Amino acid sequence: MEFIFYFGDVFTPVNFGLLLLGTIGGLILGATPGLSPTMAVALLIPFTFQLEAAQGLILLGAAYTSTVAGGAVSAILLKIPGAPANIATTLDGHTMAQKGEGAKALQLSFLSSAVGGIFGVLLLIFLTPVLAQWALAFGPSHLFWLAILGVTVIGSLDSSSVVKGLLSGCIGLWLATIGFDDIMGAQRFIFHPALGGGINIIAALIGLFAIPQVITMFAKGRRNDGAEVIRVQKHPISGAVRELMKNKRAMGIGTITGSIIGLIPGVGGQIAGLVAYDQSKKFSPDQHKFGTGHPEGLVAAESANNAMVGPSLVPLLTLSIPGSPTAAVLLGGLLIHGIFPGTDLFDNHPDVAWTFINSMLIGQVLMCLFGLYVAGMAAKVAQVPHSVMAAVVLGLAVFGSYSVQSSMGDVYVMAGLGVMMYFLERFGFSAAPLVLGLILGPIAESNFIQGSMIASATDGMAPYFFGGTLNIFLIVVVIASIIYSAWMELRARRYTSKEEIMA
Amino acid sequence: MKKLLAGAAIALAGLTTSAAADGHANYPERPIMMMVSYGAGGATDFQARIVTMTAGNEDALGMPIAILNKPGAGGRVGWNWLATQAEADGYTLGAYNIPHFIAQSIKGGVEYSADSFEPIANWGADPAVLVVGADSEFNTLQDVMDFASANPGKLTTSGAGLFVGHHIAALQMEKAGGFKMAYIPTKGGGAAAMKAVIAGEVLAGINNLSDAFRAREAGNVKILAVADLERNEFLPDVPTMKESGLDVDNSSVNFRGVMVPKGTPQGVIDKLAETVPAMFENTRVAGKMKAGGSPMNIMTRDEVLAMWAAREETLKELLAGL
Amino acid sequence: MSDMSLPRVQHIIGSGVVAAVGIWVTWVSYTQQPSEAFLFPRLIATVFVVLALWTFAKACLGWTRVGNGLSLRQLTNLAPGLLVALIYIFWAARGLGFYTATAIAFFILLSLYDPAPHGEARSWVRRIIITACFMAVMYGLFALLLKVYTPREIFF
Repeated sequence: MEFIFYFGDVFTPVNFGLLLLGTIGGLILGATPGLSPTMAVALLIPFTFQLEAAQGLILLGAAYTSTVAGGAVSAILLKIPGAPANIATTLDGHTMAQKGEGAKALQLSFLSSAVGGIFGVLLLIFLTPVLAQWALAFGPSHLFWLAILGVTVIGSLDSSSVVKGLLSGCIGLWLATIGFDDIMGAQRFIFHPALGGGINIIAALIGLFAIPQVITMFAKGRRNDGAEVIRVQKHPISGAVRELMKNKRAMGIGTITGSIIGLIPGVGGQIAGLVAYDQSKKFSPDQHKFGTGHPEGLVAAESANNAMVGPSLVPLLTLSIPGSPTAAVLLGGLLIHGIFPGTDLFDNHPDVAWTFINSMLIGQVLMCLFGLYVAGMAAKVAQVPHSVMAAVVLGLAVFGSYSVQSSMGDVYVMAGLGVMMYFLERFGFSAAPLVLGLILGPIAESNFIQGSMIASATDGMAPYFFGGTLNIFLIVVVIASIIYSAWMELRARRYTSKEEIMA
Repeated sequence: MKKLLAGAAIALAGLTTSAAADGHANYPERPIMMMVSYGAGGATDFQARIVTMTAGNEDALGMPIAILNKPGAGGRVGWNWLATQAEADGYTLGAYNIPHFIAQSIKGGVEYSADSFEPIANWGADPAVLVVGADSEFNTLQDVMDFASANPGKLTTSGAGLFVGHHIAALQMEKAGGFKMAYIPTKGGGAAAMKAVIAGEVLAGINNLSDAFRAREAGNVKILAVADLERNEFLPDVPTMKESGLDVDNSSVNFRGVMVPKGTPQGVIDKLAETVPAMFENTRVAGKMKAGGSPMNIMTRDEVLAMWAAREETLKELLAGL
Repeated sequence: MSDMSLPRVQHIIGSGVVAAVGIWVTWVSYTQQPSEAFLFPRLIATVFVVLALWTFAKACLGWTRVGNGLSLRQLTNLAPGLLVALIYIFWAARGLGFYTATAIAFFILLSLYDPAPHGEARSWVRRIIITACFMAVMYGLFALLLKVYTPREIFF
């Protein structure tokens, strides 16, 4: 209960001012395509040089919280996921926006972000020591199985054909191998100099989601049709709260999945949203509505990607191991003030530690309030013609992918993948499994290689990869997931054939 | 008419050369970019941001230095970019890590070598250390050596990648002690390698002194030895490998500093070589570096040139058998 | 050729390209050295090529169930916009400077796809204003706030 004593520190004028600044700044940075939370936090580091340790961390913590949530804005309105965390948000969020429910989607996403986020920070406050042990429990073999579990999700994710879903996933897995291989340093599939550094995940995300949408708008042509505008209808906040209450299951699944996955070093943030989305789809009676602008999917995705924020800091704060790139940047923010995370932080600088954690809790609430305000504004600007929308999204995609690492190569990759994806989508392939492959490929590969090196030096491949409770548990889940997907596919087939007979 | 043209051409040529000379005198006229070949938040990135934070001061360069991260494949992506694609106009600098890039260039498959770059100055030296988990049976380097000798190839040892300082240290240990270890390179740099040690996935690890120091403060690891010529001021109680009877020198020490691509005008190099070491000596920089547990070692351009040459020689010999 | 067969031909072309890429990837994975570095690509490539050939076979037999392909109308609609976008990205952004190229491409796309009549001066003024506003936001966001150094070649 120690944290309660330090709540006062959050509300001193300077600290609260910084919290507001971090939250608003984070929302803007998060909504800017091409700026991942990691980049946004790194951009703010120089400002913290001048501040005291606790103040600097408040700024960074608030920015981290709200960039993750702010990514939902561009994901929903423009279909540009700012970071891997927002991929699942586009699936139902953008379809809702296309139906004119942009404001509702934004409100829902910020409300569920806040619920998930607060839960995640509370976990961080109360269960840190337990969680730290969990985070350490995942070794190379477990991470490998976890990545394989992710791959089995591919087939059922946002695709009406399992074979094409898997094939999209394979394309993604292959794309991830382009560039230098990380362990041996060998060059693989570098057929153009722009690919020398491999495919940057943020640039790829922008291309795969935004560009097909731009071309789709082109394909509609120049029509004198009044209906060809994108409207954002007003939506009362109370309505959004009621809608959220209706989706308790999705919110629960999202929050819990996000918290658990966020904990795992090196995997966490990237796939939390997608896994939560897939899980709540599997448990939902309205599976067929997922992907068509169904609030349930949006709630699951957004509660998961903010729930991951708190637990993702556990390995950093307790063990001094940054579990994610963003945590690594936060570590830098601590180190410049001479504070080492770990026991030193909680024993000798409890004011810094708890003020930081408390400010993340308050930050979640502030983020939600500002987010709801943004949603209200979005309803006012409303009515954007397709021609303007297409040009705006294209411009943002180019600037966004360039600014990831000031590289023209990333822009070429973005455009190349985007145009490819548009045509692939015409033939029943989809972007989400492809991106999942792109994210999971490196995780699966490096952990497999690392695991097999450890295994061959110790007790051999079979005991290493198939032994131990956690390995067996994960393998069982993988098999269950495959059986479930196959069963669903067969059932769906029977239905379609019946319908065909009826027709 | 011909004369006139020729005269004009000469005048024009004279004009451009003097303009170029002036250009170097006024350098820098706009903000400078510094490429770091590791991700945001890594040790190299963190230190690069600190040592360049005073670049905008009038007594330094008078222009800010912006950090540009180009991570991937143990640094190869960034250094390839700097050697082949970056403009050699003095506005693109790069951070170097020795022995990483020299070892990689000896091993091949990259588009750079020590000759592709011109060093400016060195800011830090981070020795590799041998760490084991806090509850490990090993308490001294001798324990580790005994185990490795008795169980060849069974001592799993994590490190940040192949052909980086950690790997070099492991190779030197094997050579000096006549035993065989199982070096496990991790993806995700020193942090992932450290996690493997703390979680008990590997028996031992070779890691950066600064990161290991922090992990020891947190009570997670024991530091058994330093791969350097002398004990380190951060860890006065930890012996060097030489003291413990393993003939390992400082070849694996991770030197970090600033360089520019070859072809950068000599005037710019001279100006940078003069101002940058002074910039590193700034007390604010030193204070922040010390607080973060990052050992500093400022070296001028000439010293770095000598160090690069020496490293290249030892590394060629060490890697010849691989 | 009826209208129904157009998607089928397109499916054959589309999945054919994917299958060709799959075969190329497999060939590269199994021939390149060092083989340790290509272990994982080989695994992927094998699954990739099998699935791709299966899809191709299905397309040839006309069994494809998902994906509507493209109508001729859609193709003619998207062609000019795609062309402008590609010229903008692969040449102009670098050759002219980021902001100039973006402004020009933005304005052309707006003129191509804006339903407002091209004969009226008012709609042209409106397009210019929208372009100017967009460029102001982009400049403020990327150049002033985020300090991204975009290529500034011939122009800005």
